[in-house]
Amino acid sequence: MELEERARDTGDNCIACTSCVAVCPITKANRNYIGPKLVGPAHNRMHFSDEADYEESLKLCSNCKNCDITCPNGVSVATLNMLERAKYYKQHPEAHTQVDQMLSHGFDMADMLNKLPLGKTLANLGMGIGKAFGVLDMMGLAGKRDMPAYADTYFRDLFPTIKQPKSDKKVLFFPGCYIDTNDPEVGVAFVEVMNANGYEVIMDSRFVCCGSPLVVGGYLDEARSHADINVAVINEYAGKGIPVVACCTSCSLMLKAEYTELFAQSEMQQAGKNVYDSFEFLAILAEKGQLKQAKSSDKTKMIYHAPCHLRAQGLGLPALDILTAAGIDIVNADAGCCGMSGSYGFRKENYETSMKVGENLFNTIKESGASKVVCDCGTCREQIKHGATKNVCHPMQILAQAYKG
Amino acid sequence: MSKSDVVVIGNGLAGLVSALVSADQGKKVTLLSYGAGTFPLNSGLIDVLGYDDAGKTVKNPIEAIASVADGHPYKKIGVDTVKEALDYFKDIVKSEGMPYVGSADQQQWVVTGVGTMKPTCLVPESMQGNKCFNAGEVVLVGIKYLKDYYVEMVKENLAEILGKDKKYSVVEVDTKLQGGRDLTTRDVAVWMDTEAGYNDFVAQLKAQAGSGKVFVVPQVLGTKTNVVYSKIVKDLGCDVVETTCMPPSINGLRLRDVLLSALKKRGIRVIENAKAEDAEFSANRAVSIKAGGETRLQTYEADKFILATGGFYSGGITMRDFGEGKEGVFGCDVVTDCEEATWANKQLFSDKKQGFALAGVKTYDDLRAIRAGGIIENLYVVGRNLTGYDFCFEHSGNGVALASAFKAAKA
Repeated sequence: MELEERARDTGDNCIACTSCVAVCPITKANRNYIGPKLVGPAHNRMHFSDEADYEESLKLCSNCKNCDITCPNGVSVATLNMLERAKYYKQHPEAHTQVDQMLSHGFDMADMLNKLPLGKTLANLGMGIGKAFGVLDMMGLAGKRDMPAYADTYFRDLFPTIKQPKSDKKVLFFPGCYIDTNDPEVGVAFVEVMNANGYEVIMDSRFVCCGSPLVVGGYLDEARSHADINVAVINEYAGKGIPVVACCTSCSLMLKAEYTELFAQSEMQQAGKNVYDSFEFLAILAEKGQLKQAKSSDKTKMIYHAPCHLRAQGLGLPALDILTAAGIDIVNADAGCCGMSGSYGFRKENYETSMKVGENLFNTIKESGASKVVCDCGTCREQIKHGATKNVCHPMQILAQAYKG
Repeated sequence: MSKSDVVVIGNGLAGLVSALVSADQGKKVTLLSYGAGTFPLNSGLIDVLGYDDAGKTVKNPIEAIASVADGHPYKKIGVDTVKEALDYFKDIVKSEGMPYVGSADQQQWVVTGVGTMKPTCLVPESMQGNKCFNAGEVVLVGIKYLKDYYVEMVKENLAEILGKDKKYSVVEVDTKLQGGRDLTTRDVAVWMDTEAGYNDFVAQLKAQAGSGKVFVVPQVLGTKTNVVYSKIVKDLGCDVVETTCMPPSINGLRLRDVLLSALKKRGIRVIENAKAEDAEFSANRAVSIKAGGETRLQTYEADKFILATGGFYSGGITMRDFGEGKEGVFGCDVVTDCEEATWANKQLFSDKKQGFALAGVKTYDDLRAIRAGGIIENLYVVGRNLTGYDFCFEHSGNGVALASAFKAAKA
């Protein structure tokens, strides 16, 4: 059911204070972007004049949500941008390029490769060769980057082989595309940590990609169908008292809040209440005194990068708190956006902007003297690997290790 | 969430200073932020009291605040605390590499972005408009394509104020910045952060430099602290003065950065994008507040709470019907005894205050909040949440924010 309070109407709360323009990392890095205030709230309000009216630089917004974080009046600036972008592609479907199609539908490719014998191995090899010969560049991808390699075994196939103690306390894991197909070790670590806390992890194969890459690519109708599928599953489990937990902060933001912002449906709002970011869930356990205390013997100096999509959730930095409490030597980088923003930095035309945005973080990491970077977001980790150091992992992996002593 | 000694709600100047002073008292502090405070709109100058009730310029701010009307925040804060707070502020910004000049008993003058001059109490080194008074020649620097800065107008206005006995000249700098949007002060400040941009800027001014001259420039001397300022006065061999500017205010953002850096050094926990929605009480004490994102709220317990959520602009005070102002977190009593007829003064630049500007939370003299006619023993109210002053009319915004924060945190 359509909600009365809709994020798309929050443009009217904008007092044009320019705070969002002042903190927008893209505005700072790229002079062609006219800024969030103008393409989101301002343009959104002008739209009654001409449906086809479009601000060209809107495609430069990365949906990182620093505008939302900085807005004093609760304007969903980034979501307004995404709705504007979707409106444009509705009017101009021909404007979608092959690379838009590919980056927004990575899950299709990943599924297909999983069905082919040696599919993933050959794809990884192909991406390496493609990079070397400039093919990625020709396709419109950032040829200077490595594309994230596919895992030999996806988490969906790995999960059934993990032996878990049975428990009445269950959580439904939403792995998200990156952990499922590129970084399944994070999922394994999650199961270990939940088991150590007396929870049994379950999966549901009906889940589909959260839709974040579809939204930024301007495929809003498809994103809506993904939302409907996921929301139905989440609400079914809510009925059984089983919470849904995600380790990827962009997935958790999408399931918790962005569906409702984009589509304003009451069942989405209801579903959001049954979704937790993984360390948010652990922090709630800790608050109730139910979190198993870890005592780490790891003396590695670490630095934590907080993904923007976690910061936007308004719950602090629970992974940093929990790892610190476990005795890990870890500091907060506090160096702003990494510049990757999901698929954004993988586009050739965004590469330079993306790297410029990340510069402060790269320097902070390099100057910190830390030998390991910890971050909850998969594509942030890809960016850090490319710009600073290869030694990057998800905080869940550190906690799982700490539990082992 | 582990309990804090102090929870500060709001991250404008009052909120950040409350958190810093509390931490310096050895307290474990959590700061809840929702939005960037007023900094992108804030000059970052510390105005203590620019004009009295009659609209006359105040010469000695600390002397003048002794005689403000009853009910004014300064009456509650006290002259000595205001002085201490100003000293504290100067120490903090100096230790963060962005020293301010000025003292409580003498007004400083700042050149505005339209070429008028305004009184303030503490200014960053880069904005000392006083330096124009003794200069023989004022060189006004315009920047090609810069939005909202009309150098000829600045020149005319300034010449009228400073007198015809000085020489005035204009030089235009071309940044050669390419790109599809208007040039803002921030774009130029970012350019000045780069070595190439800085060198180009200096090269274009060098021929005009000389002793007895002062350059008046829009607010473009870099995005961080006063590093560019310190360098450029040496390289040009004469004084340089930045004006105030249209949003986003570079100096407001510089100040925000240095205060956040000071917070970080003190290990203060900052929870971003967490809107405070509700509080729990036990008798006449606040026990905890609930704050968070759209989906879920977290509970933050503390022994002491400092409310710094701002006035109408920041949503700290709201009002649906005349006379029915609300403070949304604790439900404190709000003074909004303005009626529809007296709510606004339509003559924006007249010598009368705005009725709505006086709205705010009722407090005792020690800044503790009043709720349902009684005290909340461990809730202190600071900054624009307070009733009884029109910061815009009297030019006292950051002064009240700073001094009330200092008092509340020390209590």
